[in-house]
Amino acid sequence: MAEGEKSPRQLMAIGVLGGLICIYIAHYLNSGTNSAWFSFIAALGAILAVYYGANAVRRVASYGLGTGVPSIAMLSFGAGQIAVLLGLAVALNYNIVVAGPIIALILAAIIGLVNGVMARRVIKMNIAIMEMSMMEIAMAASLVILGLSTAIAGSFTFNAIMSYVVASGFIIAVFIVGAMAMFHPFNACLGPDERQLRTLNLALSTGFIAMLVAGIASGAINGVQAAVPMLIVAIVGWLIYYMRFWADTKVDAAAVLSTGLIPTEEEVA
Amino acid sequence: MFDLLLWVWIILGGILIGAGVHFIPVGGAPAAMSQATGVGTGTTMLAAASGLTGLIGAGSAYYLHPGDFAYTIVMGGVSAALMLAILAFIANVMYVFGAGVPLASAKVKYDPITKWRQDLYVSRGTEGHGSPMVSFISGIIGAFLAGVGGALVYFALAETYKAIPGFSATFGSYSAPYYVSLAAAFAIGIFFLNCVMASYNIGGTIEGFHDPKFKRLPKSVVASLVVSAVGGLFALLITVMLPGGI
Repeated sequence: MAEGEKSPRQLMAIGVLGGLICIYIAHYLNSGTNSAWFSFIAALGAILAVYYGANAVRRVASYGLGTGVPSIAMLSFGAGQIAVLLGLAVALNYNIVVAGPIIALILAAIIGLVNGVMARRVIKMNIAIMEMSMMEIAMAASLVILGLSTAIAGSFTFNAIMSYVVASGFIIAVFIVGAMAMFHPFNACLGPDERQLRTLNLALSTGFIAMLVAGIASGAINGVQAAVPMLIVAIVGWLIYYMRFWADTKVDAAAVLSTGLIPTEEEVA
Repeated sequence: MFDLLLWVWIILGGILIGAGVHFIPVGGAPAAMSQATGVGTGTTMLAAASGLTGLIGAGSAYYLHPGDFAYTIVMGGVSAALMLAILAFIANVMYVFGAGVPLASAKVKYDPITKWRQDLYVSRGTEGHGSPMVSFISGIIGAFLAGVGGALVYFALAETYKAIPGFSATFGSYSAPYYVSLAAAFAIGIFFLNCVMASYNIGGTIEGFHDPKFKRLPKSVVASLVVSAVGGLFALLITVMLPGGI
């Protein structure tokens, strides 16, 4: 681990605790004020989970999966989607809405662990951290789905998510855009000069793009009060972190040269 | 209302999805530079393209004729196979007329279907180019199997969720009933679990059923069985958790 890098444990705390806390704050502030002004906080929780998940993808994919970086994120989002919907249904059944996200997180960890064990022991992939990584990425994926869904629906009760996110079809946008936010950073930055800070800055910028999509979707459900704060935060956040990523890229590059314009036909001849 | 038979269907569907991936000519990054046989992208993208088309086919078939098993399954399989045929064909057009390479496989000397010589047409230093006849046919078989698997999962879930009280409601006037969309959400989850497991099994690239890697199929069947058993169990538990509906 190079100097200035965040350890997996630190990132886990940021992603899991930060993500959960943001989702809870959004849900309770929204239901307390009986509005949807605070939905954007849940999307910020999803971005923290993207931040954590992107580092887990980075760690496992640097071993070389053989199938491309996107595969592990898509698999984990499949697991996360199942875990989130079942977790919220369990919470509804036992009338403990507050425990929904935590149950979803635990279920995601179980499916992720099963996937990891299958990949390592049955398929015999030679990656030592496979079980742990699959579990972590599935947990991060469940938090991303939960965060973006809560941002769209304004609350994380099963009924709200079911009617506003699943039945309306936004779940597919959440699935794809969340997975892309998580796998794109390492997919774009991988190579011998890959650096955690640059990859994670890109993860934050893709996370804000996911938030932008959730913002547009939330406008269809909760109107202006949900969409406007989310779109403003998403655009500002994206600009900040994309500029940071751009600056990091210039720092890490051996040289930044201008190629000039494409030569015209006369100049070539 | 936990139906054991529906659980078996989901597991069977998962195994079919995993097996189907082994037939599909996945070329990966080398094929994108026409240096290996297959369609030039990863399994995740190929499976997402053909598998999701299969699910859309199965979903619309189920929505038009609720409860019609054969119609749903065949529509799922045919939609996925059609999508893969289009993908492989368009990729072949690009390889032949864009990159200027002949379609050839490096794994066999003669194409098992057309009996055409292959090795003479493989450029030096590459593993073949494009999807020759055997890979193309193999891909269509694979996509059909995977589409049927996805449709089986979808059908089992939709039949289960239909019984939940309140789930035949729709969101607004444009959406399908709740059970249709919930089944689709879970079917996509189970689809990705199985297709990515299978793609790990083939190590990212395969040419079709004539590829030596095809012999790894049994390991994928075991992995798919366990993974879709867990995923299917979770998906079916929703009905147990919502006795009163929503």
